[in-house]
Parts: sequence; C-alpha cells; structure tokens
Amino acid sequence: MSALEEKSKAVSDGGGFALLFFVVGLVASLIVGWVVFPKILYSQKRQPFDFNHKLHNELVDEGCESCHFFREDGSYAGVPKLAQCVDCHESVQGDTEDEAIFVNDYVTPGIEVPWLVYSKQPDCVFFSHAAHVKSAEMDCKTCHGDIGNSSTLKVYEENRITGYSRDIWGKNIAGFKKNTWDRMKMDDCSECHVKLGVHQNSVQTGKGACFVCHQ
Amino acid sequence: MKQSQGHNRPKKYGMVIDLDKCTGCGSCMVACMAENNVPFKKDETNKRDSITWMKVYKLTNGKPFPENDVCYLPRPCMHCEGHHGHSPCVSVCPATATDYSTDTGIVSQIYTRCFGCRYCMAACPYHARYFNWWDPVWPAGMEQMLSPDVSVRMRGIVEKCSFCFHRYQRAMDKAHLEGRHELAEDEYQTSCTQACPSGAITFGDLNNPEHKVHQMVKPDNAHGGRPQAPNAFRLLERLGTNPKVYYLSTREWVRKAGDNSIKGEGKAHAKH
Amino acid sequence: MWPWTPVPKNGEANVVNSVSTLCGGCCGISVRKIDNRAVKIEGMPGYPGSDGKACPLCLSGLQKLYGPTAVSSPLKRVGERGQGKWKKISWDAAIAEIAEKLGRMREDGRPQGLACIMDRECGTVPALFQRFLQVYGSPNFMKTASVDDAYELTLKLMHGVAARPGFDLESADYVLSLGSGILDGWGSTVRMFRARARWQENNAKVVQVEPRLSNSAAKADQWIPIEAGTEGVLALGIAHVIIKEGLYNKAFVDEFGVGFEDWVGKDGKKHDGFKTIVLKHYSPSTVAGITRVDPDIITETAKAFAAASYPLALCGRGEGRTPGALHDFMAVHALNALVGNVNEKGGVWAVPLPDYVQWPEAKLDMAAERGLATDRVDGAGTERYPLAKSLLTRLPEIINAAEESPVEALFVSGANPCYTLPDTAVAKAAFSKIPFIVSFASHMDETAMMADLVLPDHGHLERYEDIPAPSGMNTPVIGLCRPVVAPQRNTRHVGDAVLMIAKAMGGLVAEAFSWESYQDCLEKTLGDNWEPLLDAGFIHNPKFTPDAWAKAFQTPSGKFAFMSDACSYEAEGAPIAEIEGKADAYPLTLIPYDSLRLAGGPVTTTPFVIKTVEDNVLKGKDIFVEVNRKTGGKCGLAEGVYAHLSTPKGTVKVRVHMSDGIVPGVVAMPRGLGHAEIESYVGGKGINVNELIGPVEDPVSGMDAAWGIRANLTIA
Repeated sequence: MSALEEKSKAVSDGGGFALLFFVVGLVASLIVGWVVFPKILYSQKRQPFDFNHKLHNELVDEGCESCHFFREDGSYAGVPKLAQCVDCHESVQGDTEDEAIFVNDYVTPGIEVPWLVYSKQPDCVFFSHAAHVKSAEMDCKTCHGDIGNSSTLKVYEENRITGYSRDIWGKNIAGFKKNTWDRMKMDDCSECHVKLGVHQNSVQTGKGACFVCHQ
Repeated sequence: MKQSQGHNRPKKYGMVIDLDKCTGCGSCMVACMAENNVPFKKDETNKRDSITWMKVYKLTNGKPFPENDVCYLPRPCMHCEGHHGHSPCVSVCPATATDYSTDTGIVSQIYTRCFGCRYCMAACPYHARYFNWWDPVWPAGMEQMLSPDVSVRMRGIVEKCSFCFHRYQRAMDKAHLEGRHELAEDEYQTSCTQACPSGAITFGDLNNPEHKVHQMVKPDNAHGGRPQAPNAFRLLERLGTNPKVYYLSTREWVRKAGDNSIKGEGKAHAKH
Repeated sequence: MWPWTPVPKNGEANVVNSVSTLCGGCCGISVRKIDNRAVKIEGMPGYPGSDGKACPLCLSGLQKLYGPTAVSSPLKRVGERGQGKWKKISWDAAIAEIAEKLGRMREDGRPQGLACIMDRECGTVPALFQRFLQVYGSPNFMKTASVDDAYELTLKLMHGVAARPGFDLESADYVLSLGSGILDGWGSTVRMFRARARWQENNAKVVQVEPRLSNSAAKADQWIPIEAGTEGVLALGIAHVIIKEGLYNKAFVDEFGVGFEDWVGKDGKKHDGFKTIVLKHYSPSTVAGITRVDPDIITETAKAFAAASYPLALCGRGEGRTPGALHDFMAVHALNALVGNVNEKGGVWAVPLPDYVQWPEAKLDMAAERGLATDRVDGAGTERYPLAKSLLTRLPEIINAAEESPVEALFVSGANPCYTLPDTAVAKAAFSKIPFIVSFASHMDETAMMADLVLPDHGHLERYEDIPAPSGMNTPVIGLCRPVVAPQRNTRHVGDAVLMIAKAMGGLVAEAFSWESYQDCLEKTLGDNWEPLLDAGFIHNPKFTPDAWAKAFQTPSGKFAFMSDACSYEAEGAPIAEIEGKADAYPLTLIPYDSLRLAGGPVTTTPFVIKTVEDNVLKGKDIFVEVNRKTGGKCGLAEGVYAHLSTPKGTVKVRVHMSDGIVPGVVAMPRGLGHAEIESYVGGKGINVNELIGPVEDPVSGMDAAWGIRANLTIA
C-alpha cells in the first residue's frame, strides 16, 4: 500500500464525520444567512406617530394626489408638509393618541414631522413621478402597494450598512417577489422598462440608458 | 398602464460655440461649477487635478508682438457619437458606468457605478474627464448651496460634463405634467449656455432643422455629423469621434488649431 | 455613496430676484432656491443692462452667503491690530461703546474727527451715513474714487452740470476704447458684453488702444498697442487730424462750443484755444514719438472715427478702479465733442445724478455747525483742490504726516481701503494710527482686520437695499437688492446699525433719524415707487433722453467748454501724468491689469472664480507677471522663472510669463490677488499690486492719476 492510498483510506474513514460537520455547518450558516443576518442587518424604527391613510383617503376628492401632489414645475412634492395638514389639524380632532402627538408636538410648535419614507431611493437615483403617473398613467399601487387603504403605518426597517429602507430590497431576503410593489430595486425598474420597451436606448447594454434614472 | 412616451423622435443634443463671440470671461465655467456641485480645493492651480467640466482654453497664433492674437475656446464634454454611439470613453468602460443614449445623444456618467479605473480618461482625446483624487470637502456651512438635482461625487471616481442632463429631466417632468412628450428649444438649455453673457454658446437638438444649432452648422449626418456651414469645425475632426460640440470661427488659424495639424499638413484640412 | 458625502436635501424650487452688489456692474440676479436654501444664481431676465446674464463673480455669490469669511456676530478687537484676535460682543454693547466714544469727541468740540469711507455715494445707505456725519458735525465723508468721479468732474467742467456719464453704447457704430477694459470689467460688466454682441451684429468697428493684449483688445477688431500711460496723448493726436482735415462737426463746435478757438479768460488775457494747442503740439509725428503708435495708424483711426455715423470714444483704464488723469478724460471727451457726439444717439450723455433720496433738512446744533465749517481732512473742496468731492488716496499721507491722526474715529462700510488703496503699506500704517475704527463689513477683510469693532452687515443676499444705476448707464435705473434668504448669522443691516448709533447718541442726532428701521426708511424714501420696485425688482426709464445741445450746457458761457478758466492746458499742451521712479534705476514700467476672473475691488474673489484663473497667472501661491518676450530676454529671464520685481515702493518675488501680447518695456501684474489669508481658498495667494504702486496726485483734481510705476525685473 502506498502512502497515498493510506491517506485516502484515512480520509474515507473520517468521511461520515466530515459530511456531518459539513451539513451542520451548512445548516448553521444558512440559518445565520437567511434568518439571523436579516434580523441584524435591519434596525427597526417607528414613525413619529401613526397615520391612517384609509381614513384620510375617504375624506378627500382626488385620491392620493390630494396630498401627494405635483408642483407646477412638474416635480413631485412627496410627503406632505405641515402647512397642508394644519388647515384641518389646527386643534386636536378625535381622541387618538397619535392625533394628540401630532398637534402638540408638531402643529403647535410648527415643526415638520420627520416621517421615515419607505420608498426613499438613494441620492444617485432620479425618478420622475410625472413620467410614470401622468404620461404612462400608472397608478400609485403598482410601485407602492395599496397604501391608500392601510389604516396604520408599518415599522420602518433601515439597512444598517447602507441606510436604505428595507422596502427597496424587499421583504424577501432571497429577492423573490409576488407583487410588483414588493421591491424597488434598479432591476425592478428595468424589468418593467424592458417589458414595455421604454427608452431602450443604451449603446452599452441595449437596454435603458443610465441617465434615464440616474443623476 | 400605458406604453406611451417610449418612441419619440431621437434627439441629438449638441452645442455650437462661436469663438468670435467668446471673450474668455469665465462665466460659463463658474455657472457650470455652481450648477453641478463641482467641488473646489484650497489650491486649484494644478490644472491636471482641477475639476472643470467646462474649461476655457486660451489659444494663441504664436506670432511675435504685435501680430500676436489670442482666442478663447470653451471645452465642455464633446458627447462624441463615434460610430453608432461608440464614443471613445463609452467603448472602454468596463463598469458600464458611462453610456451613450441614442435617445438624446448624451454621454452619461453614473458615479455610483464608476470604480475609478480611468480608462475613459485615457481614451478621451479632449481631456474632458476628471478624476476625484480626494473626497470633496466644503467649508463648514457651504454644503448648503449644493443642488439636489446633481449627485455629489466621492473620491475615486471620474466625472464630466453631462450637458446638464438634470435640466432635461426637470423640463421633461414639466412636459409630462402638461401632457407633452416633446420639449421646446428653450426649455432645455445647459447652465453655461444660459450664463454666457456674450451669447457665444447655443444649445439644442442637432437633428431638428428648426433648432438654431442645426441651422448654424448644418451637420451632415451621412458623414459622421461633419459641419457643412462655412467657418464651422469640430475639435480633432479626423479622429472620427463625431463630437456634438461644434465651433465657429472666422479666423483660419483658430480653425486650424482645432485639428492639431503638423506643419505643412494643415492645407488639406483647412478647407472648412 | 459614502456616509460622509453630503446628500443635498430636496424640496420645493422657487426663485427670488435681486441685484448682486459683488461686482461694480450690479448684475440683476435670479436665485434658485430649494425650500430655504439658495442653490444657484443666474441672471435676471429683463434687468436693465445685464438682462438675464451675470458676471462670474455674481454667479458665484452663494459662496459668499454660505462662505467661511462671513462675520457671525459683532466683534471687539482683543489682540493687536491686524492680528485677528476678537471676542464676540452683543449688539447693544457695541452700539453703546460707539455712542459713548462719539459723544465724548463731540463734547470735546472735535466732531470733525469722525470720518466715513464707503465705496458708493448714491442711494439710501450712503445717504444715511452722510446724514449722520452732517448732524454729528463732520464734513469727512469719503468715497473710494473710480473713473466715474473723473468723468463726473469732466462733465462738471465741460458741460457745467452735475451729472454722471452715460454711454449710448448699443447705438455706437465705431468704438474707440482708450485703455478701457470694455470686456474686462469696465462700466457695467454684463451690459458691455451685451453691447459687444450688438456691435458684432451691426458690424460696428471696435478699436482697442492699450499696452497689453487684454481680453478687450483680443476681441476688438483692431488692437493698437501703445506706450503705457499715453492714451490721452493719442486722443489729442486723433483730434489733430480731425481738426486739420476739417472733419469735425462744425454745427456743434461753432455754435455750441467755447474754447475751441482762442479765447479770453477772466484774467483778461488771451489764451490758446483747443484748436491752436492741438494743431501746434499734437501732430501725428509728435504723437507717434510719445505713444509709439504709427502716424499712419493715427491718421487712419482719426478719419475712420470722424467718418462713422455714431463714433464713441471711451476713457478710464482697465476696470476703472482708479480715476486717472483729468486731462486724459477731457481730451477723450473733447474728441467726442469734436464729432458732435455729446448727448446724442450713440454718444456720451450727461445723465442727472439720482435724486430720489429727498429727506427733510436735518436740524443742526452749534457743535455740528462748527464741525462742518472745518476743512475736509483729505483736502477735497479746499483752495488747493476745489473741484474734488473726496480725495481718499490723499488721506494716508496726511494721517502719517500728522503727529496725531486728524481722523479720530472712522466708519468703513462697503469699502476695503486697506486692500484697494495704492501703496497699501502706507495706508495700513495710517489706519493703525487712527484711534478708533468701526467696520460694517459682512465678510472679514483687510480693513475689518484693522478695526476695533466689527458690526457685521447682512450679506448681499440677506438684505434690502436700493441700487442706483451702475457705471455708464445712460438711462436712470434703481434696482432692488432684496433678501433671498433670512440672515444666517447674528448680523444687522448697516442702515439699522446707523439708526441704532444715532438713537443711542440722543439729541438732534437722534432726531434726524425718524425712521423705525432701515426698511421703513427705504420704503418711505421711495414712496410711490416702492411697490413697483418690489414687484419688478427695478424701476427703469428706458425712454430717457439727455438735454438737447441748446440747453444741455450750464457753463458760464452756456456752451460746451473745450477750454475754460477752470481747466486749461499750459502753453506746451496737456502733460502726461508722471509716474513715480527714475528711469535709470527702474528701466521698466509696471502696470496693473484687470480680469473678470479676479475681483480687484473691495470684494474678495470666490473659490469658484479663482479656480478659473490660468496657471500662468497664479501657480500655487506664486503670482506671474507678464512681460514682452524680447524685454524678458534682455533681462535674462525665461518662461516661469522666479524674478525680483522692484518698484520705488518695494521688492517682491514673482514668476515671469513671457508674452507676445504686451508692448516692450512693460511689466503687467494682475489686480485682485495678494489678499490676507483669512481663509485659504483665495487669501494668501500672490501679491497685491497696490502694494507696489503709490498714488500720484492729479494737479487739477487731486485724484489719483497713477497708471503704473517705474519698475525693474531681475532674475531671482
């Protein structure tokens, strides 16, 4: 028996253990990777106070655009400013705790509410709401989900490394999505752009050029 | 959902700079820096690392006093089309950080994709690209003047003139809101064009015969966009970069200087 | 994107129109804001003169607003003068200290010991200072002089009116610029650019006479290189040809001119007229000897000038920061008059001084009357210099010559004399002798460094102010500088500071200022004009036309005075203003040059603008001087070498740029460098050319007539 064969025998003798170690290690790392890491990766932040979209939606005439409107220059105003709310909320209405926080902590002293924006994109991204909502006539739900019918705000999860909202990567850590609004990554934008043949004008990639969505 | 705006007539945004009008005042350079969040250092006299998307060069005819003459030449990014959009920098970028859009003819630069190999800088014959050797630093309080329309760059990446593409985006936003898909000529103008007090810079769609830029140089698209107007020329025309920045000058020595001819060779190239 | 990379906050875009006071040309600006942040300055469409465009300095104005040199609260000096050691004090304490000091001076019967230095004399803010000085009892309001003052004096002498010069540039079809940096900051910068575009469209001819191939010369149709300082002589040489060939406008000269032919003065003696003197002393060949301009070129230029429909000759060197010799101005103005181009289309107009500041006469007490009766400390309006309104350049020598400074307390606002005055070292020495200096600077500068108290004014984008027509405007304009953003620091409007000081003084001084605040004063002063001014951002009368010849001239004869008792040439003709230094020790001549890429006035250049400066002007901290290739070669110099540049005022180390665009024997140095190192973006770089050139008194006006100084350049 050569030295080489001896060594290989020794290896096969220890094979069972090695396999076990491998499997245990694999399972452990999968648990860490798929369960523990996402929990550590995202910090949980609460909004300053809760907000009922459904309730407000019933009171206004023009749906989402009543509060989330376009400015005259075509830019999108995003989250409403205090000035838009104070007309109705000058004094406490109803008896919820959130309403009291809003009026006492923000309306009365005139401080803007530091809302955490779930769909906030990185600084390098240019997104034209006007192009999507006005020209392409998409509805808000396609990207944002049915927020308009929600009665409470979910916990805001922030990626501790990048500082981005979890809604960008999506809830599913593997990146699977069932609905169009499950994720807001660049791939999700381009998926739709490719499907609809929007601006396939890049010389490098044959897809959409970078400046369509980057600044 | 509606598939709508995708197929407008492709634009070819370009610039015509009248060197007879340019006085070398530097307003374009400053307007560009202010518009595009261009950083500045305490010492900007090493021009190789001084980031100036728009740079005004001073040319001289090299003649002794008193026949000496100078001409100023503003140099933004030329947004070369090359052959079918294969401009020198785009074809060498390994990161897809720079790209050519067949929609607008603009060479883009995506800072977050760039990893700083600087191939594009080596490839660019116009020195239009700049590398961030340092992280930009604004004196305390001065970051307040930064525009949200243009991303602030960081150390280790390349940047260059974008033809103020964010202004195109802004103008398109307004157009979308008003249900239009086309921009009027004056809706999208670069910051330098707007600032030039001499009216030396004209900007618009070279494909659009109604636009002033088209009328001024009459680009021959069948031959790589060569200008057909007299006194019009492009820098380093013979390299075939097919740039979208055209120059006008009534002075022959200036037109010759545009192609870096060696002695005795100029005659063949001086015809336009 | 790294966490330390700033992410500018987004928000609602809005625009505020204002007038930028950084440059002398007063660019109308539109400031783009995102919520409360100002993010971009652009030109304001429709603003008279600049119409949608702005100069590089004004475009970079946000770097002043948010910049590190802005003074954040009132400061009291604790270290030595110029050391930059300060302690913050409250506004009330600062005002009380000033009121107490001034009160004591007044009680001691020396109100005339108070002086004030500003960069302007029109508008409500200068008027507040002037009124304060008046009721306090001091005649010593001083303004940093510029070509406008020399032109004003010219109009006073030749037209007999108190007026500003206005140039109908856009209509001119032949522009003869005698050293004026028409594209380098002269007049209202941006208007000049727009006028040039018009000249190009109209095929007007532009001739630039200058020793250096400046931007103005490079863009002119013809550059006539000339011996430095002799532009006025060339004007008379051109006049010679025009008169000799009979090309002058006889209708104007014969009917509306006086002193053209020989004339009899008040002394009863017969004097040579303009014609006799010019024909006798300024033949092309004589002039060619002085100016080194070819006699044929002189003749050609004269003929072309006279043949043009709307010829216009301009005067005042470079950007026009120094007034220059009165004779030069009169010679050039006489040239315009010869072709009848005075108060006419395409010519020089006498535009009435702005008169909208009409306040009730202030009551004066005995102390004030006595103080006002004293002679001005700078000698303006005295027997020696009866014509001048103020002679700031004379002040340093007067203070230094006196045992105790005749100026005991000094207010400085909007001016930076410790940088802009010629012979800076002497000026600084004088300032250090002044016992009490109050600076109203919004940004720390060389003069504020010398102050005992700094009462910071709001920045130019944080305040209201009326801005009268800029230099050279031929139609009346009032622009409105208005707050683009709320004041960012603990500053107060300089007008409010004056009101506070006056109120703290009490008595008749306080009574003279009945307004609640500066804004109240501004609104009441403008009266019915306030609302339109607020709406449009400016008030403009584009239809203004100057008085016709028949009633335009208020000289004793009622005619345009080519020569008069007040100002006539000696028998040998007008002298060239002598400059300092002996030719044997200093074989070369140093001249300053202006560029839009460097601010040469009281305002320091911004980081963006200095970035545009070429590396053969400034490299690291080294300044380059420009010298003719042949001259440089003779001195043993080569491109880029270090050299010692010496003038009678001192020696500095510079680098050399060999140029083919400058006459031999001249060394040109850019104005606007060599600022104190208050910050390191602009400060501490290069040399301040004012350190090397001393003032030369004009024998008639007393204003600074220096256009350069003898110099030597040796390899280091």
